[in-house]
Amino acid sequence: MKNKIGLSTFVLASPFSDNDLSLMGKVKSMGYEVLEICIEDPSILTSDAMNVAAKNYGLDISICGAFGPDRDISHEDPTIRAQGIAYLNTCIDFAAEVGSPFVSGPMYSATGKTRLLSPAERKQQFDWAVESIVIVATYAQAKGVKLAIEPLNRFETDLINTLEQGVALCRAVSLDNVGLLIDTFHMHIEEKSLSESIRLAAPYIFHVQVSENDRGTPGKGQVHWDEFFATLNEINYEGMIVVESFLPTVKEIARAVSLWRSVAPSMDALASDGFEFINSKVVQHLKENKINGA
Amino acid sequence: MLKYAYNMLVYGTEPIEAGIARLAKFGYDFAEIVGEPDQITAAQYNEALSKYNLPVSSIVSIYTPERDLVSSNAAIRANTVTYIKGNIDFAVAVGAKIVTLTPTACMKIKAEVNIDQEWAWAVEGAREAAHYAHDHGVRLALEPWNRYETYLVNRLEQSIQMVDEVDSPGIGVMADTFHMSIEDKDIPAAIRKAGNRLAHVHLADSNRAAPGEGFLDFTPIVQAIADINYQGVCSFELLPAAGDIWGVLAGGKAPEFLDPYTESSIKYIKNIEKSLGLI
Repeated sequence: MKNKIGLSTFVLASPFSDNDLSLMGKVKSMGYEVLEICIEDPSILTSDAMNVAAKNYGLDISICGAFGPDRDISHEDPTIRAQGIAYLNTCIDFAAEVGSPFVSGPMYSATGKTRLLSPAERKQQFDWAVESIVIVATYAQAKGVKLAIEPLNRFETDLINTLEQGVALCRAVSLDNVGLLIDTFHMHIEEKSLSESIRLAAPYIFHVQVSENDRGTPGKGQVHWDEFFATLNEINYEGMIVVESFLPTVKEIARAVSLWRSVAPSMDALASDGFEFINSKVVQHLKENKINGA
Repeated sequence: MLKYAYNMLVYGTEPIEAGIARLAKFGYDFAEIVGEPDQITAAQYNEALSKYNLPVSSIVSIYTPERDLVSSNAAIRANTVTYIKGNIDFAVAVGAKIVTLTPTACMKIKAEVNIDQEWAWAVEGAREAAHYAHDHGVRLALEPWNRYETYLVNRLEQSIQMVDEVDSPGIGVMADTFHMSIEDKDIPAAIRKAGNRLAHVHLADSNRAAPGEGFLDFTPIVQAIADINYQGVCSFELLPAAGDIWGVLAGGKAPEFLDPYTESSIKYIKNIEKSLGLI
């Protein structure tokens, strides 16, 4: 199956709303096949409008979450855990209604929590995350939606930094519809080896986000792209590949993202040049995408 | 041929002498130490240093909310200059030639006023400290930090710009490969661009562990350092994988940063020097 290449709405508008759906025309013209819509504020998005736009512009939609302090499924306060679960369920409803195979993101905690905890406190946080994910995944299962959990680098979370830790979380949850979203920006900081970490996590990889080491245009920095895509081919990855960066105006997780400067000539240039580069690597490395089946 | 130091910050609360002994044992040319002269005095270091005949290359300054060169509070800005001058005096007392400088409190990631004003304050404070350093035979090394630790100077080219504006022989730029692995597009190219402004180097792998533990390619980095005829010291500043590194260090939870990484770091980079025919 051919891998579809997508663009994150964090590159386009934040918080993304129904009013921004016309940007799909631009995204389609760049060559993308998927728009990954981040549900920062669910009250300004409707699945009906999303479906109309998707059909109109000929794009698929994938759903990603943004986890601010009030949406924390491993918080010590059960009320806040419940809010996090309710938010994730809303994202799952969106995913089911717009045909996204999954809800993705660092859903195990609020983004930006980097505390020093004792091993007992850390285990308690992990256990709360597992307990909440089981509830959410069971809800998602009934709607045919998967969860793609994203490890983040050390400066954005204290709970799941590496693919290995992500696999441990998936195993603790132990439900078929729970796997991982892997992101090259975080991997470039945390992993010892791109290929070894991907091999280790292979059965759990539901989704892929690509971002350069500085969150600038993919292909213009230090990420080991050939190793990355060759290993995705090796594990027969058939899923989406979504280009992600962030507008400097992003609100819900601004502090966690910490992007204080422009990293590309413009966000449109990042999206357009990023597509060309990622598409070239997909064609070069991923066998189902190779021209003439070569 | 490069000269090597190891930042003792990561040794945590271990007695000074044990750390100095470790550096001597694994063949280091220098120690790099933390600049908190009110807590550990030059005399305390000098006793251990002379016992092992190991000099100090550099003082790593610690920037807190009370030590912020671009604070909107003038008293804090003045206090920061006083702290840096104190570290310059401390450097003289232990025989070090470099004091690190970053113009913002560590982990402060938002400007208090507008960036242009803060940049001007940074240049002004750095200039006063640089003149003082030069008068004392010391050089400041302006270190960019990654986006999660500061918002003002993230890349080497920004450090070059600020150093050029300060315009004093008492200040140069600093390259730290961990920060550069996040922020720069091409580490060797950035080092070449710095040229003779390069005053100090921190080496760490992409995950801030010992070189070889992550996936930075140190061969072209070492080649670039050699090509610009860098005469300073390469110090391994390795730190635990945590947002709260101070907490981890205080709890003694970083044993691999003691013997294992102290031994492997210098070995790894020296092997690259050999493969490049530099030694």
